[in-house]
Amino acid sequence: MQRTLKRPNFAAWRQQSFVFALILLVLAVAVNVQLQPNFFKPSILSGNLRTYLPLMILAAGQTIVVLAGGIDLSVGATVSLANVVAVQTLGQNPSAGQIGLALLAGLAAGLAAGALNGLCVAYGRLQPIVTTFATSFVIGGAALAIMPSPGGFVPESLSAPYRSNPLAIPMTLWVAAALLGLWALVRQTRYRRYLYAVGSNPLAAYVTGVPVALIRLSSYMLSGLLAACAGIALMLSNSTGDALIGTTMTLDSIVAVVLGGTRLSGGHGGIAGSLIGVFVVGFMRSIISFANVPSWWQTLANSLIILIALAGPGLWALIRRRNV
Amino acid sequence: MNITFSATHVIKRYGGVVALADGNLSVRSGEVLALMGANGSGKSTLSKIITGVVAPDAGQLLLDGQPIRFSSPQMARAHGIAAVYQELSLIPDLTVAENIWLAHEPTRLGRVDTRAITRRTTALLELFRGTIQPGLQPDTAVGDLPPDERQIVEILKTLAWEPRLIILDEATASLDTQQVNRLCELIADWKARDMAIVMVSHRMEEVFRLADRATVLRSGAYVGDVATAETSEAALVQMMIEGGVSPRQATTPNPGAIAVRAELDNIHTRTLHGVSLTINAGEILGLGGLGGQGQPDVLLALFGAIPYRGTISLDGAPVRFRHPHQAMQRRLAYVPGDRGREGLLANRSILENLQLPSWSRYGWFTRMRQAHADGEAVAKTLRLVRDSLRAPASSLSGGNAQKLVLGKWLLRDPNVLLLNDPTKGIDVGAKGEFYRLLTELRNQGVAIVLYSSDDDELLGLCDRVLVMRDGQISATLQGPTLTRTALVSASMSAAQAEVA
Repeated sequence: MQRTLKRPNFAAWRQQSFVFALILLVLAVAVNVQLQPNFFKPSILSGNLRTYLPLMILAAGQTIVVLAGGIDLSVGATVSLANVVAVQTLGQNPSAGQIGLALLAGLAAGLAAGALNGLCVAYGRLQPIVTTFATSFVIGGAALAIMPSPGGFVPESLSAPYRSNPLAIPMTLWVAAALLGLWALVRQTRYRRYLYAVGSNPLAAYVTGVPVALIRLSSYMLSGLLAACAGIALMLSNSTGDALIGTTMTLDSIVAVVLGGTRLSGGHGGIAGSLIGVFVVGFMRSIISFANVPSWWQTLANSLIILIALAGPGLWALIRRRNV
Repeated sequence: MNITFSATHVIKRYGGVVALADGNLSVRSGEVLALMGANGSGKSTLSKIITGVVAPDAGQLLLDGQPIRFSSPQMARAHGIAAVYQELSLIPDLTVAENIWLAHEPTRLGRVDTRAITRRTTALLELFRGTIQPGLQPDTAVGDLPPDERQIVEILKTLAWEPRLIILDEATASLDTQQVNRLCELIADWKARDMAIVMVSHRMEEVFRLADRATVLRSGAYVGDVATAETSEAALVQMMIEGGVSPRQATTPNPGAIAVRAELDNIHTRTLHGVSLTINAGEILGLGGLGGQGQPDVLLALFGAIPYRGTISLDGAPVRFRHPHQAMQRRLAYVPGDRGREGLLANRSILENLQLPSWSRYGWFTRMRQAHADGEAVAKTLRLVRDSLRAPASSLSGGNAQKLVLGKWLLRDPNVLLLNDPTKGIDVGAKGEFYRLLTELRNQGVAIVLYSSDDDELLGLCDRVLVMRDGQISATLQGPTLTRTALVSASMSAAQAEVA
């Protein structure tokens, strides 16, 4: 029998599925430098990067859900909800205790939104796409009820650290490093194996003894929690609350995940790729704004990326069919 | 390590269907029990109840004399009961080691101890060394493994739980002879170490080789227990099916004139390395040999489902199918072995499944009455056991589901029928009916190509058998040369040559 076993090394290679995103990143940076010669000037670069920070946190959460075989279309609404909850709790002239309370309230709102999704999907056995699409209106509606029009006040002492560059490294990169560090820790635990197992083959995982429903629930709760972090980051960056602020971020988060090489059907990929994906999305946005074309080009580009990602495996198989 | 386990009067219903009406079984340490029965007799249900995958509606389980109820597979495993599943429970995206230790990873300070995992996995793989490729290592991705090695990983995965009672559900179905032999040695070893073993198998030879005792189920009910030393194959089969087996078709030469229907000339694919053969009308051509020698590719290339190099001609004229659709138009039909994945729309009705390749014959506004009548006619030919044609395909038992897969092509009136191990995992009774159908088709002049992993099937059914080895044809057996010895030696000698 000469079935040549060619792939043990491939397995390691395929884990690095964000190579494609890296190539795109280099291209995007190159085009940006062309359009904006002072692109690498520290103040401009860190300003640019700072706008990606909320999306980065959001995409990390989305990655976890997608890895576990789900998808969360309500992350944008959750960002808004956590944002307005935190701002409303702050009130005018908050004390230190009240600031802490506001942050906790924002996180709790996100966790609750994630739990709602998770319970419906994991225990109610509802379709993730439909469920989270529906809950996005529930969550978004709650946000609007809490703060019908943008407003609120965030003390300078709270938002200043957000804009700082500790050790001359932009805050965004610190957060990226923190996310990667946490993920590296998670990768060494059972949780990461369970996540991939559930996303790859839930039935097999179940008969093996993996607590499938719990893993699904936890993936949505983590996503909700991280979305809340993103909402709080937006509060710090804008110094106001806005119940519609997260609306456009859902699509961006999914695009970042897809670009980062995480398979939409679950079980394959990782957070590192998604972070690179966020930078690609961000740099593409600045290209579009510098190229003086209407902003809906960004939406068009995003949607095309998702379509290509979904069609990709099929196209690839079609091409490979041609040759023996 | 000692264990005694018994199930008494266990009942399980799925909706209105009774899967298990009266399941009884008992086994203890140092014993190999064969759980036998035709498809749909409740074997799988009973083993799932024992391992906590499904909960029984009624009945009692006794573990070491104490009544027990398993609410999940984890709980059963915690009590030392684990199964090697027939439908694989592996995660393709994880590595061999990750799969084997999934859900019971050794940890240190909350972190998975990868070094211990690799070490223990290597030790487990050592059990099958010599029968698996050297490339199969703890860090190989399971998705890249061929079926036999996946099955071995599945066995090792169960073994890693260190069960006291292990259930092997058709565990040998996709293994080659060497691997089966190794598994038999292992089972003997487990037995000596006071494990209890329950094996679910259709292979009589293995049952008589390994089992001390056999428990027979029929239509969800317990028939009886026999010691294998005191019974015979025929007696066991008699217990399994009512009214006896449909006798194997003796090979009689087809009275009709034999005409060449299709010709393959020097075909190359990923697994085929130069295969040439002719397919005759009114003949059943068998493809034999060990598993994984490229047999399915012969069928798939002919059906236009995979790319190939070489020439295929049909009725004397060269053809090149790029899509199964084109092959279907030339009245070729392909019956897959994997019923669940390739053959059926499980949640659609039997009628829809039957008519799926043929709807275009019933016009734009489908003539349902005609379609239903034609469907009934085929169901009758097939002797399909069903409630109604409107019942979902998933309500059929394995054997009937396979008849349905064949039936949907019969409606198209094929003249070349390609069968990819169609009776894998089907019980003796259903097989007999399937053989009868094939023989009828052959006598009507259909050219049939049958790949089978069951040697008896090739011997009993085929006019001519091509033995394959390494993607080539190593022997052609026909008439007086078509004997078990010839078949086994033609496929085995190759394997032994490799070992040397």
